[in-house]
Amino acid sequence: MRGFLAGFGLELRIVRAAPDALMPLLTAPLFALVFLAIVRQSGRADLEADALLAPVLMTLWWVALQHAGHLITGDRWQALLEPVIATPTSLATILLGRIAALMGLGLLSFGEVLIVGKLVFGVGVPFEHPVEMALTLLATAFATAGTAIAFAAVFVMTRNAYTFTNSLSFPLYLLGGVFVPVAFLPGWIQPVSSGVFMSWSADLLRATVKRDGIGDFWSRLAMIVALGAASFLLGRLILFHVLARMRAKGELATV
Amino acid sequence: MTRVAVTLNVMRNAFRAGLADYRAIFTWKSWLAGWYLRVIAQVAFFALIGERLEDDEKTMYLLVGNSIMIAAVVGVFSLNMTTSERGAGTLPLLVASPSSPVVVFSARGAYLAVDGALSALAALAVAGPMFGVSLPWPDVLAVVPLTGLVAVASYCFGTFLAGLVFRFRSVNNLVVVTTHVSLMAACGVNVPLSFYPEPLEWLSRLLPLTNGLLGIRGVFGGADPTTILGDAALEAAVAVAWMTVALATFNRLAARGRRDGSLEFAS
Repeated sequence: MRGFLAGFGLELRIVRAAPDALMPLLTAPLFALVFLAIVRQSGRADLEADALLAPVLMTLWWVALQHAGHLITGDRWQALLEPVIATPTSLATILLGRIAALMGLGLLSFGEVLIVGKLVFGVGVPFEHPVEMALTLLATAFATAGTAIAFAAVFVMTRNAYTFTNSLSFPLYLLGGVFVPVAFLPGWIQPVSSGVFMSWSADLLRATVKRDGIGDFWSRLAMIVALGAASFLLGRLILFHVLARMRAKGELATV
Repeated sequence: MTRVAVTLNVMRNAFRAGLADYRAIFTWKSWLAGWYLRVIAQVAFFALIGERLEDDEKTMYLLVGNSIMIAAVVGVFSLNMTTSERGAGTLPLLVASPSSPVVVFSARGAYLAVDGALSALAALAVAGPMFGVSLPWPDVLAVVPLTGLVAVASYCFGTFLAGLVFRFRSVNNLVVVTTHVSLMAACGVNVPLSFYPEPLEWLSRLLPLTNGLLGIRGVFGGADPTTILGDAALEAAVAVAWMTVALATFNRLAARGRRDGSLEFAS
């Protein structure tokens, strides 16, 4: 637990020193305005809540891709990985604490979009199923954290990960159905989307703001958690092998 | 060598250095599988919102707006020029050299305008047919120079912003991404300008995407050629204005960094 808390505190201090990490908290309200403008101008008040929820999911994705995904690479560049691995606390515990801090920051975007929606357009998110909504957001943050570990493990193996992470944002928003449900995607791509936890999160989150009952809530929630856990385990597995190879070759601090 | 010849020589070499940078970042395969995939996904993401709204006209509006938005996105990447220079430890050397920093940076990043225009046109060419948007031939040819103008104007705007954030490297990416989404929100990319309050509508006319995009929508809507030319002229004027402001401020801001020692050698 101490390792987790140390990681959590460390990440908050890093964020305070590097304002770039707050980027998604600036863009989330702007995206909310863009989406709200589109649905309002088209006279589709029924999609206003979806327009506000989409930037929250986009923010979590962004944090996973651009920040959490680069934690190990960043440590390696700064020659921090060696001392961290040398400590008795496991790297995974520290990473989990750091990613939890980032997910907490990402979830702040939910409050932001509520405020901007109310202030600019006078609309909000109807809390028809508040408990289910909170559970879905938590499960989504958990699954995003698990996916971030997988990203971190894969990115540390690549030479030019930043170029690809810059390119991955919108493909993942699209596959994750953050605003437009997966059913609108071409049939051949829908099975791929079903394997992306965010598509389950987006559907379930949208269902929590509708007045109708939520069908199969627990099994859908379990699917989000299961996909997130699978990504986490995969990430840990890759990381284990990558770190073992780096140790053997003395590359822990190599750019 | 005259002063003009020297400046042109500096620009030519800086442009070649920029191209070399670009080749180091992308091969044609990674451009297609990485960058171009993102471009198509971004345009499709917004076009699909039109499909969800069950409005073909809106789908076309979003598709055209977000395709051309790509030219602005890449143009504004010129903001990254100073940051990458600083990261490489070459910024203080450039500022110390007798050449004007703004001439070096503007020439070195000029490939971004070309890349932005090509990416936007390639997005339109592929995503258009995907969503059943017809590209009227030969009228669509007029979109090519208009997209080029948008890319150049965005690039000039980015160069101006680069001067502003010159000494504040830590906020560079923040400024880039916030500028992208702000342009997306304010320049008529997703909703017509008439949707905004009037002061915002006027303000957006000063931004590097609005007028060119209006011209391009005019081409697709069969507008009068004089209206399209008027929009093109306004876009060109905006480009010249932002580059003029960049030229007027960039060197002064760089000189301030030289005085207070904030242009460190490495990140």
